[in-house]
Amino acid sequence: MKKIFLSVGLLICLCINAWAHVGSPGVTFEGGAGPYKLIANINPPDVIPGTAAVTVYLEGAAKGTHVSARPVYWYAGADGTPKADVAEPSTTERGRFDIKVWLMSTGTSSIELAITGPQGKGTVVVPVMAVSTAKRTMPASLGWGLFAMAVFLVILMVTIISSSVSDSQLNPTEQLTKRLRRRRVTGAFGAVVVLGLILWGGYSWWNAAAASYNKYLYRPLQASTTLNNQNGLLKFTIDTAQLNELSRSRRGNLTRKMNYLVPDHGKLMHMFLVKADALDVFAHLHPRRADSVTFVTQIPNLPAGKYWIYADITRLSGFAETIIDTLSIPETIYRQASNPSQLSRIADKDDTYFITNPINNKNFTRPSVNAVMCGAPGVETKLQDGTSAVWVQRPGQDLKAGQLTELTFEMLDENRKPAKLEPYLGMMAHAVILKDDGSVYIHLHPSGSYSMGSQKALLDRMAFHQPLDKYLPAPQVFADSVNRMVASLDAMNEGERNQLLMAGMKHGNAGSNEHSAHQISFPYTFPQPGKYRIWVQTKRNGKILNSAFDADVK
Amino acid sequence: MSSITYPAGAAETKTTATRTGTLPFYIYAVVFASFSIVVGLVWDISWHMSIGRDGLFSPPHLATYLGAVTAGLFSGYHVLRLTFAGHAGEKQESIRFWRFFYGSLGALFCIWGAFTMITSAPFDDWWHSTFGLDVQILSPPHTVLLLGMITIQFGAMVSVMALQNRTGGSANFNKQTLSWCFTLSSGFLLVMLFTIASEYLGRQSMHASGFYVVSAMLFPLFMVAVSKASATRWGATYMALVYMVFMAIMVWVLPLFPAEPKLGPVQNHITHYQSFNFPLLLLFPALAIDLFNQRLNGLSLLKALLISIAFVFILFAVQWPFGSFLTTTYARNWFFGTTSWYFGSDPNHKYRYAFAPNAVSSAGDMVKGLGIAIAIGTISSWLGLVWGSWMKSVKR
Repeated sequence: MKKIFLSVGLLICLCINAWAHVGSPGVTFEGGAGPYKLIANINPPDVIPGTAAVTVYLEGAAKGTHVSARPVYWYAGADGTPKADVAEPSTTERGRFDIKVWLMSTGTSSIELAITGPQGKGTVVVPVMAVSTAKRTMPASLGWGLFAMAVFLVILMVTIISSSVSDSQLNPTEQLTKRLRRRRVTGAFGAVVVLGLILWGGYSWWNAAAASYNKYLYRPLQASTTLNNQNGLLKFTIDTAQLNELSRSRRGNLTRKMNYLVPDHGKLMHMFLVKADALDVFAHLHPRRADSVTFVTQIPNLPAGKYWIYADITRLSGFAETIIDTLSIPETIYRQASNPSQLSRIADKDDTYFITNPINNKNFTRPSVNAVMCGAPGVETKLQDGTSAVWVQRPGQDLKAGQLTELTFEMLDENRKPAKLEPYLGMMAHAVILKDDGSVYIHLHPSGSYSMGSQKALLDRMAFHQPLDKYLPAPQVFADSVNRMVASLDAMNEGERNQLLMAGMKHGNAGSNEHSAHQISFPYTFPQPGKYRIWVQTKRNGKILNSAFDADVK
Repeated sequence: MSSITYPAGAAETKTTATRTGTLPFYIYAVVFASFSIVVGLVWDISWHMSIGRDGLFSPPHLATYLGAVTAGLFSGYHVLRLTFAGHAGEKQESIRFWRFFYGSLGALFCIWGAFTMITSAPFDDWWHSTFGLDVQILSPPHTVLLLGMITIQFGAMVSVMALQNRTGGSANFNKQTLSWCFTLSSGFLLVMLFTIASEYLGRQSMHASGFYVVSAMLFPLFMVAVSKASATRWGATYMALVYMVFMAIMVWVLPLFPAEPKLGPVQNHITHYQSFNFPLLLLFPALAIDLFNQRLNGLSLLKALLISIAFVFILFAVQWPFGSFLTTTYARNWFFGTTSWYFGSDPNHKYRYAFAPNAVSSAGDMVKGLGIAIAIGTISSWLGLVWGSWMKSVKR
């Protein structure tokens, strides 16, 4: 009962920054499921077991089209998955289907969407990380309500027990005696003691259950970042001591094994450095793995200041997460390499950085080869190589939190003709969205905010019709073979590598359409109102094109 | 169940009793409530073994709520009618509480149970949103719910007992009907107790000493009490029979209906309901309990010790070999239902039809375990005797 007293106050829902998307738990997918084009928006539960709210928008949905969904867990595979549930078509919005999907265990899961209709059947798998992140307290109204009921029930039970040893033992015609009156009082006292003990036991049990829940709550990985002032070498060390268990079961905990990292877009880690508060410097780096928890890279010529680090990793289980840290880059950093040949091997050829105006300051005069001005909805912005970037946004249209939004950008060449874009890391575009206080971070693609590495991991697992024990390779052997694979990808020429990276993404490459190659669009739901910056990265004439846009979300 | 024999004294009054008053309808309602609750409970377990996920208004839950609503409404009406519309004679036969209300002890138990079940609903809802949609039987809010259910069931028994025990006033109720009501309500209570402890009482635990310790802790307390409080000579036996028949019917009926898993991972792809456990052979120790109660009077610890020894040895003598039998191919049929298997478990599990080594006690451990069971069973039996004599004394 003490818990109820403690909980007086408003309902507080503390959502810990979670997994691959910091502060942005929703997953969006845009692309094809067989012959059908769709956008799916998935809101995973913040407490497991729980239900994910899935909304599917089907393009040109014909009559007789059905959408169904089922949760496929990585550890269970497709054969261990129950029959799909059928989604409800919306009565007001044509082509919209809603369904709740139960996610019962912690770990990497996915929602397999199946569409059947006049054009046949199409399926697509969208990965979802099923982890508990929410810590809730009891709302005051419920707390007081339950407390009132508890008091009533205690009083009634004391009445029952006191009566059960006194007047209830009388025959219909008998009267209450003095002795029975005394027993009634004794009975009441006894009842209070016994009920007190039962309530105390219940309270202890409640606390133990809450402690057990907290033990298996998802806690983000921690890392420490060091910078060698002599040569600009960045060392990112993941602290596995922080790696808590996600469930009681062994298979549930395999999900986060560090030796099972897999490359996403050909890289084991995508690290983004953004200058804190002003958000005026953005770097996308690809540190190399020195050992299973240590990653190294050489930072480019970044201005001094405090930086926020967001490092994305994906595992064989498909469990993708973002590790956050901060780094101070001093003014006096000496980047004269003592051994230039060694350092050039460490820096990655796909690394890039650029400088923009600070988020709340449009007066930007910094002269730099790597500098551009931030765009805004409907406003064109010139990039370093003469390309123009436009955020195609209907005038007067507000961006609203919690609403699925298509963020569409257009790239025009020097002659204001559609620019011919090339894939960057096997994708037509990458985008990073960050809230001005750093509390919301997401790395997304034209096909949505899900991790493609996770999707591939789940599809591979589903194609393997055997239990997990037969699927899992030896950790060290696996890590070695992944290192070799990443090295061989780095050694390939651009065309060869893109072909290989894009071959693995059979599902939904909306941006790869030839006709709209200069136009890229990202489906995204802003989780909360505020000021956001969107960095869009693509490639043209063999060079990485960096652009940035500011968004005011209501 | 067709023949209930009466102690000599009761048989003499039978003719007058049949002639006199029929039971208040309220009594039938609370006995039905108790039945509805256990049907819902056993069905719900089957549901979770076969389908897995449920909502607030799943059919088994509705059966349970029906029990709660029936007991709550009829008992609530009983109290309000007595308080506001009862005549002086009726009030004289009732208990008065909070200086204003009139009611019966059984009705108060039922009301308490119904309110407790209602309280558990928002608590459980909050629990799910905070700690997850648990599918376990025992969580704090589920325990509140179970406490409510048991109390309703106990209230049903107390309502019957009060009419059975009283003399004078409007005490001449049909003894045979009363006896049936008592037997049924006590049997349904036994189903509830077995279900709560079923994690330790499954067929795969029958060669482990823990099975006998848990049984000795739980069953004598209730069976001795019922044996003592019953108006018939065979209260515990009838209670055990109702339990066995009820459980067996659930084993036979539920698998006739289609069901398929709706939660992953699914390892056992089933098409019909998987049944809950075949009943324990409690009939045999119950016979011994009744025989002791018939032959020995009083509430002595020695009597409790003798009952406990008899209970533990008879249970061991029947349940140990019966456990072995349940692993054989002869039990893999509709009658014993041992093919029933949770959808999330591997159907080729090594110990599906065998005792896992860690679930078999060595001879030494078993002797020690039975010793502990007898010690605990003595306390349980003694409490049962005390409680039974209290039950015998309730008249309002």
